[in-house]
Amino acid sequence: MAEFHITLPTRGDRHRGDWHPDSHRPFHASVTDPRATGSFDHLAQVGRAAELAAFTGAVAPFDPEGEESLVVAAALLRQTRWLRLRAEFHPGIATPVYAAKISASLQRFSGDRLDWGLAVDLDPAVARAQGDFHEGADRYARAAEFLTVAKGVWREPGYTYRGRFYEVLAGGFDAPLAGRDFPRVHLSGTSPAALELSALHGDVHVFERGDDLEAGIAALPGLAYAIRLPVLAREDDEEAWADAARLGGFTGLVGSYEQVAEEIRAYAGRGVTIFQLDASPYIEETYRLGEHLLPLLAKEGAHVR
Amino acid sequence: MSVDIYWRIGTHGDQPSLRRRVASRGEWAPVVPGSLAPGVRDGRQDGYSYVEHMGDVARASESAGFVGGLLPSFPNTDDPWATAATLARETSTYRFMIAFQPGFLHPVQAARMTASLQRATGGRAVFNIISGGGGPDQLWWGDKVDHDDRYARTSEFLDVLKGVWRGVPYSFDGRFYRVEGARLPEPLARQPFPEIYFSGSSPAAIAAAGRHADYYLSWLEPFHALTAKFDQVRAHSERTPKFAVRVEVLARPTEEEAWAEIARGWDNIDPTVLRGATGDSIGWQRSQSFVRGPVNGYRDLEVTPNVWGGFHLLRGGPAFGLVGSYEQVAERLDELIGLGVNAFILAGVPHLEEAYRVGEEVLPLLGSLVKGHAR
Repeated sequence: MAEFHITLPTRGDRHRGDWHPDSHRPFHASVTDPRATGSFDHLAQVGRAAELAAFTGAVAPFDPEGEESLVVAAALLRQTRWLRLRAEFHPGIATPVYAAKISASLQRFSGDRLDWGLAVDLDPAVARAQGDFHEGADRYARAAEFLTVAKGVWREPGYTYRGRFYEVLAGGFDAPLAGRDFPRVHLSGTSPAALELSALHGDVHVFERGDDLEAGIAALPGLAYAIRLPVLAREDDEEAWADAARLGGFTGLVGSYEQVAEEIRAYAGRGVTIFQLDASPYIEETYRLGEHLLPLLAKEGAHVR
Repeated sequence: MSVDIYWRIGTHGDQPSLRRRVASRGEWAPVVPGSLAPGVRDGRQDGYSYVEHMGDVARASESAGFVGGLLPSFPNTDDPWATAATLARETSTYRFMIAFQPGFLHPVQAARMTASLQRATGGRAVFNIISGGGGPDQLWWGDKVDHDDRYARTSEFLDVLKGVWRGVPYSFDGRFYRVEGARLPEPLARQPFPEIYFSGSSPAAIAAAGRHADYYLSWLEPFHALTAKFDQVRAHSERTPKFAVRVEVLARPTEEEAWAEIARGWDNIDPTVLRGATGDSIGWQRSQSFVRGPVNGYRDLEVTPNVWGGFHLLRGGPAFGLVGSYEQVAERLDELIGLGVNAFILAGVPHLEEAYRVGEEVLPLLGSLVKGHAR
C-alpha cells in the first residue's frame, strides 16, 4: 500500500509567499489591488491542495533558510482533516522531553497526524549556526539518546534516564497526554551510522534518488521505505521535456504521466511504499499529480481512493 | 499609555465553577457524563480535542475585549507553542502569551519558532519567560540547571535569541550556549520581536528581569507587598520594565453574591487540600507568608479589602485574587494601575463564561472609578 506525500515550499514557491523581492508584482495604479494575504496563506493553500488531491501527507522540511517546521506542521494540521504532516528538525532544537511534549499536544489536536523527520547529518557550518557543535559519531549517539528519551517519556510513567547527553528524573507523560501515537520517525542517510540509527529507532527510512536502495533496505528489515522524487509529469513526454528545458537544471523524473507512473511502480517493486514528490509550482502541480498521476497508481495507492 | 488586559487560557482543563474541584472541561480529569470537550463520543474518539474548548476561550476573550491570553505550561498541560500555532489562524487580534522555560528549547530554535509564529499570526506572539519553578519538576523536563543558574541561562538565552533575530551572522560563546554564524532568514528576521513578560520573585530573577523584560510579571499579592516588589525591581534594574500582574477575579453584581460563591466553594474543600502544595519557587513561599493568624473561615484569607488568598484551595493555581462586586473589582484594578501596573493577566473560573462576564461588566468600568486617574 503506497503513500504519496508532497514537500512544502517553506521558503516560498518562486514568486509566491513573501520570500522573494518580486513577490506581489505591483498592479498599475488604475487597477484595484486587493492583495493582503499573510505569509502562511500560501503554505495553507498548498497543504489543502495536497489534501484535496488525495495525498497522504506533506513534509515541512528542516531548512534554516525557511519557515520553522513544527509551527508550519501545527498550523497546517489545523487547516486539514486527513493530511499527515511530517515536521523535520534536528535533535539539537530542544530537549527530547520538550520535543515530545509539543508533539503530544499536536497529536491530541490533530488525531495523531504528526510525523517526525530527524535531520542528523547536517553540514557542519549549518549545525554550528544552530548552536550544535557535535561532530561525527556523536551526532548519531545524541540522536539515538534523543529518540530513546522522547519515546521513554511518551510511553513510560515515572520515566528516569541518565545518559551522555540527557537526563530525566521521574518524568513521563500522564493521561491525557499519554497514550497517543508516537510520531512515525523518519530517518535518512546511507552511512553505517545512519543505517544503525534507523534500525534502532526508525519507522521509515527515506532514500534519495541515487542511494543504494537494495543495500539500505537489506540493512533495515521491518521498516517502511520512502523515496524523495522531484517529478515533472505532463500529458506526453515531449511536453514534459519541453517544460524541463524551460525550467533548466531540473533533475528528477521527467515524462508523461504513464512514464512517471511506471518509474514509481518500479520503485514500488523494489520495496518502496512512501513517495515524497516535489513539483513546483506546488499548488498547480499538486492538483495535476492528484488528477493525472495518482489515478494511474490506484493499486499502489488504493487506500487514497 | 493604555493598559493591556489579557485573559488566561486553561491548558489543563477547567472547572464549571469554583464550587467544586471537578475539572469536567477537557479530559484532564476522568471523563464522566457531563464532561465537555473530552475528545470522545459514545466511547470513541470523535475527532475533536480539548483545543476546541481553548479556541472557544480565545475567541470569547477576543470578542469580550481582552488583547490576548496567557497559555500556561506545566508537565501535565497542553503545550503553549502547539496551542498557539494551532489557533493562530482562527483568531484575528488575539495575542498568544506563551509561557516557557529557556531550558526547553535552544535559543536559535526558539527564534525560528517565534518568527514563524509571528508570520502565522501577523505578529501576535508574546513571551512569558519562566526561569524559577518547581524543584523536582525540573528533572521531569530533563533540565539539570539549578535555580540561580537558570536566570543566568535565561539572560544568555535572550542574548542569543535577539542576536540571531538581527538577520546577520551572529556568533556567541557563553556558559550555556554557543553558536557560530547564526541568523534568521530575512522574511523571519523582519518580524517584530515579541514582548517579554518575565516572572520570578528571587533576587536572581529581578536582576535578569531588569536586563531583558518589557514587563515584570508578578502574581497578585497584597498591594503594599506588590509595591515593595516593584520598588525592588526599579532599584536593581538598569532599565526599569513595565509591570504586569496576574489576577484571579471573582466579580458579581454585588459583593454579597461574590462572597456567597466563595462560601459555596469553601464548604466543599477537601481537608487534604488544605495541607497545600510545595515548590522551590520563591513566589509560592511569598504567597504563603501574607496570611496571618488562624484561618477559621474563608474571610480570614481576605488580607486587604477584596484581596483574597484562598483561590488555590478552590482550583489549581496561585492563591491571591480579587473578590467583590463589579465596581469593587474595577476599583482594585484601578488602584493597581495607580500603583504603576501597565498590564494584567486576568483569569476566572470557568474561563469561557467569565471572560464574557469580566469583559462586559468589569472592563468598561476601568479608568472611571478612581478620582484623578487620567483616562
